[in-house]
Amino acid sequence: MTNTYGRFALVRTGQAVVVVLLAYILTFLVISVLPGDAITNSLRDPQHGLSEADIQRIVAYYGLDQPVLVQLVLSLGRFLTGQLGFSLQSNLPVAQLVGDALPSTLTLAFTAFVIALVFAVAIAYGAHYAPGRWAGVLRSIPSFFLSVPNFVIGLVLIELFAFRLHSFTTTDPNSAAATLFAAITLAIPVSAPLAEVLLASLDHESRQDYAQVARSRGLTEAALFARHLVKPSALPSVAMIALIVGELLGGSVITETIFGRDGIGTVVQKAVTGEDQPVLQAVVAISAVVFVAVNLAADLLTPLLDPRVKINETVDA
Amino acid sequence: MSADLTFARLRSAGAASLRTRTILPPTVALSFLVLLIVVLWSLVPGVFTSFSPVTGETAAKLAAPSAQHWFGTDYLGRDQYARVVHGTASSVTSALVAVIIGLVVGSAIGLASGFRGGWVDTTLGRFVDVLLAIPGFLLAVVIVSSLGFQTINAAIATGVSAVAVFARLMRAEVIRVRRAAFVEASYLQGGNRLQALLGHVLPNAYRPVLVLAVLQFGTSILVIASLAFLGYGDPPPASDWGLLVASGKTYPTAPWLVYAPALVIVATVLAVNRISRWLRSTR
Repeated sequence: MTNTYGRFALVRTGQAVVVVLLAYILTFLVISVLPGDAITNSLRDPQHGLSEADIQRIVAYYGLDQPVLVQLVLSLGRFLTGQLGFSLQSNLPVAQLVGDALPSTLTLAFTAFVIALVFAVAIAYGAHYAPGRWAGVLRSIPSFFLSVPNFVIGLVLIELFAFRLHSFTTTDPNSAAATLFAAITLAIPVSAPLAEVLLASLDHESRQDYAQVARSRGLTEAALFARHLVKPSALPSVAMIALIVGELLGGSVITETIFGRDGIGTVVQKAVTGEDQPVLQAVVAISAVVFVAVNLAADLLTPLLDPRVKINETVDA
Repeated sequence: MSADLTFARLRSAGAASLRTRTILPPTVALSFLVLLIVVLWSLVPGVFTSFSPVTGETAAKLAAPSAQHWFGTDYLGRDQYARVVHGTASSVTSALVAVIIGLVVGSAIGLASGFRGGWVDTTLGRFVDVLLAIPGFLLAVVIVSSLGFQTINAAIATGVSAVAVFARLMRAEVIRVRRAAFVEASYLQGGNRLQALLGHVLPNAYRPVLVLAVLQFGTSILVIASLAFLGYGDPPPASDWGLLVASGKTYPTAPWLVYAPALVIVATVLAVNRISRWLRSTR
């Protein structure tokens, strides 16, 4: 068993590394091949105020006077040794830009994750146990959550809680209250698919024979839920963690813009509008690493958490 | 319990299924109505509003919703309802383009991957993994920034970021069908691979993929609206729904500028999602 698991873990980790490298290459090609010579164009923009020597230095650093493949190798080599390059806009190291923005995004994402979890569990539990009409209402909530754009949720929350009720001010986006509402904005679309999966597996598990046996032993529904249903119902949602992290990373661009927070999302937005390719490349690469690593962790954990999962199947899939 | 079973069997048995299917649940009928309006808005916007979406009376700027201006007016006195109606074509067509890109490219990858297996499957599978390694919205942002800020590019970006989902589903469906007895039988009758693929595998594998396409249409509307909201679509005076929300948010005293287009987006996506769920349940 352990031997099979070891091989499985090794193969999966290897695959993950390959995927990250390929994702880096794909991003590089998309960013640098399609628009032609955007870096040099933006460097020559007089607004930058760069001297000819500065431009030459940057051109040499990124190998811009050489074929794309050489640029790619240069860039990939730097990425592998942990060098993320420099911003074309501010000349700051990308690592510093990302490092400064990371705590804000992590706080937001983690708070949003907790809120999404609470929402999802509440919706799933409510929809499963609520009587009649209420169950129908609760069951339609995830679909409603998925139909409302992130930015609309954010604007409504700001209008309602900042402008009308004065629960927080938009001028202090890092206050606890403002963070909470930004996190709710981010959490709502994340909670919907999670609630759907939780509800589906809760429905499924409660129909199983073991649940009937437990009921016949005289367990109340609440005790049955707490003792027997929580664990198996939560398992399928572990596989969703990657989806959730992706939503959190992508959604932070919009949420941070609306709430005026200085996080990774804002860095992305500035890089896009300023055609700051090294920053964009680095942020996407970091996101891919995080995303793939979380996915890998979920894959590696599933067979350990659920003995029913056969490793061979997961390798094939 | 047994009554349920026989009824379900009856429904899927020929003529009876036709009769039960023609009765739409009310919410589904309403969803179709919403979509019909949206389609008409995009095809013949002039029929629904006599106001111009680009010129307005500055004297009547930032007016609240009234009988004359249903959604109020914006900072140039333009009728917001006219802006929404005229922005429909761009918002909806781009979502359609995105779905078609995702559907065609993704299905082709999934079909080849699931049908051929072997090294084709491994190579394409790795490619799909790579697309999935970058969070969808971020991928769309990178592609649109690289292609240039236009609504059509936002549509392409959204389509590319949806390719992986379609490829995954199509591959799974093809693998499910590929080994079926009727596919084997077509080979025994002397059919070649292409005949088996087009005549037997595809017709039995495409339905879930089409249902996904409907669902993805709703998602694409949201993603494209988000890209337009960030300013990555056509610039004003274009009036894509996402852009309308973005430009409306600078006027907190005129919340209808945000709420009207937002409600239209939500209603459209809700309708699409409802229809998609209904299609899935009546399979």
